[in-house]
Amino acid sequence: MTSPSLDALRHAVPSDIEREPHDYAIDGVLPRVAFRPGDRREVADLLHAADQHGLVVVPQGARTSLELGRPLGQYDVALSLLGLDRIVEYVPEDLTITVEAGLTLRHLQEELAARGQYLPVDPPPHDRVTVGGLLATARAGAWRGYLPAARDLVLGATAALPDGTLPKSGGRVVKNVSGYDLHRLHAGALGALGVIVEASFKLAPLPPATRLLALRARDERSAARLARDLWDSHLAARSVALLAPAAASHSGLHREPYVLLELAGVEAAVERSVEEARALAGRAGAQVEATEGEPWRRLRALAGESGATVLRMGVPATSLPELVGAAARAGCLAWGYPAAGSVIAHAEAGLDPAAVRALREQAQRHGGFLQVEAASTELRRQVDPFEHGDAEALRALKQQFDPRGTLNRGRWMEGV
Amino acid sequence: MPTNAPTPSALVRDLQAALGERHVLWAPEDLLVYEYDASIDRARPDVAVFPGDAEETAAVVRIANLHDVPVVPRGSGTGFAGGAIAVRGGVLIVTTRMNRILQVDAENRLAVVEPGVINLALQQAVAPHGLLYAPDPSSQRICSLGGNIANNSGGPHTLAHGSTVNHVLGVEVVLPDGRITWLGGRQLDAPGVDLRGLFVGSEGTLGIATKICLRLMRQQEAVQTMLAIFDSVEAASAAVSAVIRRGVVPVALEMLDQEIIRIVEPQIHAGYPLDAGAVLLIEVEGLRESVAIEAEAAIDACREQGAREVRTAESAPERERLWEGRKAGIGAVGAASPAFYLLDGVVPRTKLPQTMQAVQEASARYGLRCANIFHAGDGNLHPTVMFDPDDPDAVRRVLELGGEIMRLCVQAGGSLTGEHGIGLEKRSYMEWIFSPEDLDAMGRVRAAFGGEERFNPCKVLPSGHGCGTGHATEIRHHLATPGVYV
Repeated sequence: MTSPSLDALRHAVPSDIEREPHDYAIDGVLPRVAFRPGDRREVADLLHAADQHGLVVVPQGARTSLELGRPLGQYDVALSLLGLDRIVEYVPEDLTITVEAGLTLRHLQEELAARGQYLPVDPPPHDRVTVGGLLATARAGAWRGYLPAARDLVLGATAALPDGTLPKSGGRVVKNVSGYDLHRLHAGALGALGVIVEASFKLAPLPPATRLLALRARDERSAARLARDLWDSHLAARSVALLAPAAASHSGLHREPYVLLELAGVEAAVERSVEEARALAGRAGAQVEATEGEPWRRLRALAGESGATVLRMGVPATSLPELVGAAARAGCLAWGYPAAGSVIAHAEAGLDPAAVRALREQAQRHGGFLQVEAASTELRRQVDPFEHGDAEALRALKQQFDPRGTLNRGRWMEGV
Repeated sequence: MPTNAPTPSALVRDLQAALGERHVLWAPEDLLVYEYDASIDRARPDVAVFPGDAEETAAVVRIANLHDVPVVPRGSGTGFAGGAIAVRGGVLIVTTRMNRILQVDAENRLAVVEPGVINLALQQAVAPHGLLYAPDPSSQRICSLGGNIANNSGGPHTLAHGSTVNHVLGVEVVLPDGRITWLGGRQLDAPGVDLRGLFVGSEGTLGIATKICLRLMRQQEAVQTMLAIFDSVEAASAAVSAVIRRGVVPVALEMLDQEIIRIVEPQIHAGYPLDAGAVLLIEVEGLRESVAIEAEAAIDACREQGAREVRTAESAPERERLWEGRKAGIGAVGAASPAFYLLDGVVPRTKLPQTMQAVQEASARYGLRCANIFHAGDGNLHPTVMFDPDDPDAVRRVLELGGEIMRLCVQAGGSLTGEHGIGLEKRSYMEWIFSPEDLDAMGRVRAAFGGEERFNPCKVLPSGHGCGTGHATEIRHHLATPGVYV
């Protein structure tokens, strides 16, 4: 496609980074042009050229969370970050690493595992997501609550802005309060305030032993009680999940309420935790079933699948069983993580707006929130995917960092 | 503005009308103590006010805006970077009256507090529930949680649990325009751009926290505290990396050098040997089994690096005694020297041995006594320089040494501050680690919140005019000029 503004864009970057637009559809809309730059300078030059010509750029990595956010009103330029996939600096003895944004989490974890370390996050879908996507979407998985969020592990970052600059914040050391934490601002901002091109992370040693237990409860009430008791006990836990029957069934378990317990730590601690979990399950009348991690794999696949409606609710731990139940009754596969206070609801065939609104109201009655993590374009037009803490402050930040609305315009709210 | 004026100014009268006369201090003699924090800078505010809640705080901010005077938030005034100094005068908003713990929700492991609540008071309130609030600055007996929010404070246990920001669920904030808002909420990972995470650590330049919702953690099943005794700082520094190399991340890994041991031990009797070159205070916690294995690995690592002895606390009182030496360390320096300058810098853990050596050499060169008591596991140094405050040349040398130590940290790939903040003290050094582009982006954050010139002016970002009036500031500014490390 040719037009004066697109030609200006092409002049800003080498010709070999242009890609076929048809691989970059979002919500059924094709961009007018697509690029996959190979370095950060090209990213910044592209943004600057687009900004000068009023084009809307959508940064993207593995394209696994494109249904997170409102449907875009305008989509001119696809900006793939997959060309930025280098490990910049890895210092195992400092438990820190600096990488480019397009590196996949899977690749990163493989590199780290070779040195007995890992980045302790498991976002959906953790086998495909890029490091940039991990930060920009701020999605968390089953370990959250026991382990930090990605934004708590990021030590510093560099982002490209529409004015062509590449400001960095933070650093590469594990403790640092110098200046404003722009890297925290970009974490969860969906690329609306800048495009993360590089980030440094704090790492953790890989636990020597892990184990997954599936505990089949007598009924929903005793499942909720058991999940709570496990959370309250001294266990080498990395995750406790409460599953409604349909979610359990989808995970390859019986169609009954379950509690999944993931243990991680030194072997002796994991061993005793297994025994204590068995004892707690016994007192609750629950059956302990052996599992090789298949239920986990299937649940994680669900949380990242597109085409369906995926909701995330944040509620107090004490209200979590009620919300899991409500989401299940609304026709979703539903499960919750008491330690994170989060409930995931997945509806293969989608949900109607009234059902989403009802769940949101219920979460809000408990002082919580609901975020639409994925849904049809239609649903995301009818229900705001987000709840905004302070829309005015967000608009003011957008005005400062992206005054012309070049980045992902409308993904957050009208004009932002 | 009132200097020796017998009658209050229009600003003071408006503030009195909003808060009541009792909660507005304006006579110069009443303001004396509000000239200082724990840094070596000082400046007098025109008036100090003590609002009782968010609405009163907002009213004060609006009145200050109306009179076009600066606003400076202040908690307990324990900051080391001059963050609470009213460099350009104006209204000092002191949060000490807002000191209620509003809620401890043990079942959901959260607490809602006002900003003036003392860190330790919260710890004591939640301990009976088997819970704890992880960030534990050494000043926890006096520092306020609002101040902890402003500085994103750390403490020994942030090695495992992260700094304050990891434990803040949400904050009610009075913004620079007087609007009251909530950033974050009562749950983890609230949707949307993380304004909460941006606000924590913004050093009172983006607003004032008036309510804080904090995440609590459950106390661990087992804990083991050890004291590893070394002949030299270099050996102790090498042991820090050796511990981590064995796949052990202790919850705390603290170092005290000989200088500080000889100050602390006679006062506190913590049991640190006076002839040691350095000691490491190591704490591991978790399940009994993992504590046993990790403690053994840590002990092995220390022995491998030449520890002459590793002692293990056998009881809770023994453990507390070991910690008392660490927590009371800076106070002991205060008792031993008429004045001291506590620095805060960060280096990658692996650069500790050479950095510590360079710090010792630099102190000797300036002829100054320097004690080191710090978070070695995080690479977070706290060189503490002792001097005579009445000797102007000593002050100059202290500041020059401080600048040199900061450069050492930057050259080692580290940072200017790990937990005390940039404040007034280090804004001239910001250009050593951040380019003009980086600083411009940070300036946009400030602009977005609308606090630019009036809300805690002259803090965090290096700004050109009207700020560098004090003696200390001038010297630092002079030291900072060659920005060769960007």
